Amino acid sequence: MNKVLLAILFFGALVAIYIVLFLLNKKTPLPEGCENLKADCEACHDIHCINNPGHGRHPES
Amino acid sequence: MAEFAGLFVTSVLINNVVLNQFLGMCPFMGVSRKRSSALGMGIAVMFVIVVAALVTYGLYYWVLVPLQLEYMDLITFILVIASLVQLTEMFIKKTSPALYKSLGVYLPLITTNCVVLNVCLVNITSAYSFTQMLAYSIGTPLGFALVLYIFSAIRERLEISSVPKPFAGNPIAMIVAAIMAMAFSAFAGLV
Amino acid sequence: MTRMQNFKAGLLKDNPVFSLYLGICSTLAITTTVNNAIGMGAAVIMVLIISNVIISAIRKIVPDDIRIPVYIVIIATLVKIIQMLIEAYAPALNTSLGVFIPLIVVNCIILGRAEAFASKNGILDSALDGLGMGLGYTLAVLCMSFIREVLSTGVLNIVNPFDEAQVLLNVTLIPEEYTIGLFSSPVGAFITFACLAAALTAYKTHSQEKEAARAAQAKEVKQNG
Repeated sequence: MNKVLLAILFFGALVAIYIVLFLLNKKTPLPEGCENLKADCEACHDIHCINNPGHGRHPES
Repeated sequence: MAEFAGLFVTSVLINNVVLNQFLGMCPFMGVSRKRSSALGMGIAVMFVIVVAALVTYGLYYWVLVPLQLEYMDLITFILVIASLVQLTEMFIKKTSPALYKSLGVYLPLITTNCVVLNVCLVNITSAYSFTQMLAYSIGTPLGFALVLYIFSAIRERLEISSVPKPFAGNPIAMIVAAIMAMAFSAFAGLV
Repeated sequence: MTRMQNFKAGLLKDNPVFSLYLGICSTLAITTTVNNAIGMGAAVIMVLIISNVIISAIRKIVPDDIRIPVYIVIIATLVKIIQMLIEAYAPALNTSLGVFIPLIVVNCIILGRAEAFASKNGILDSALDGLGMGLGYTLAVLCMSFIREVLSTGVLNIVNPFDEAQVLLNVTLIPEEYTIGLFSSPVGAFITFACLAAALTAYKTHSQEKEAARAAQAKEVKQNG
């Protein structure tokens, strides 16, 4: 019983750390001159990925 | 020292992470258009892997094993990697715009890069000692960066050559990777 | 698009592996034998359907800002459960797939579908989409592993994943002296993948051209008539 509780606590702590860092990173403004930088990754043709050059264009279907 | 050198050479050249284990194909195909972006990606991956491997190795043996929570390994590792990527990105954003320009943009792609998770998992499943862990965690990303850089140099040439239409883009890149894998298989007798 | 069209698109036209180039790592690595491909395909289908259903069910509760962390946590938990199940019931499969079962967590098909489809659609649609995309992946790995296993060993060998000793199928298709060992190596994997992806691209351009020609013809008939 105790072990399960420990596992949940540990899991919760990790998730909390990740979410806090994620939000903090999102709030940190991009440095000057980097506002429109994109990795332009062309590996997969998944246009839903924000790094795909085709992201934002609506697929015709 | 011999232990370190052997595993190091193996993971850089012989058992190369891209050409022999097929990991990290996404950045291999995606950000290899230009040599500069290949270099940026390679260095970013190297940094994240070394830090992530140290943190997950420590967490596993000092926290998960004493608490008998070994089954939480996968969830712990992916969360540690994702957090580390966020932390690094935030740090670079605040400290150096120049560094952000050359490395930062590739960081979001690293969370879902299978090389990082693979290194963290293999360190545990192969029961590596600390030295072996260091050799593997430095050698693997180095091998990745090396192959990525060579590949991008080939691809810059490929851009100006004519390719059969259905092969344009990723398929021809795969053929190039096949030839590179053939070349790298010559290292097999090295260690 | 109707449900059925959406489901079918994942199989060939929008095949996650050969058309969208998602999940290439595991496709190249585990396709040395058909057995591996069946096991991996089944694992991916299961994770994909369950994650799509869960993410679709909670799509209205999760704040938009933290949806990606939430998806990653859900997917990692699911994959760990599947990995433990495989370890318990199909240990041989677990050894031969190795690290590629836990690496399903970072397989872009799963996170990609969660972000692109499940977070915007209902539970039933998401489950169907998961099944379609999962089958598309399975079809791709089956094709590749069939070509690679038959060309490199000449034998098609399928065993029961839950019981290694029970051989379901064992046929020799190519005599041993004509096999090409290269196809079981990484080089063979890259070449097979490139040829199959190019074949699908060629097929897609061909059918697009045919459709365009048909549309042009119909237009002409309309104008003349």
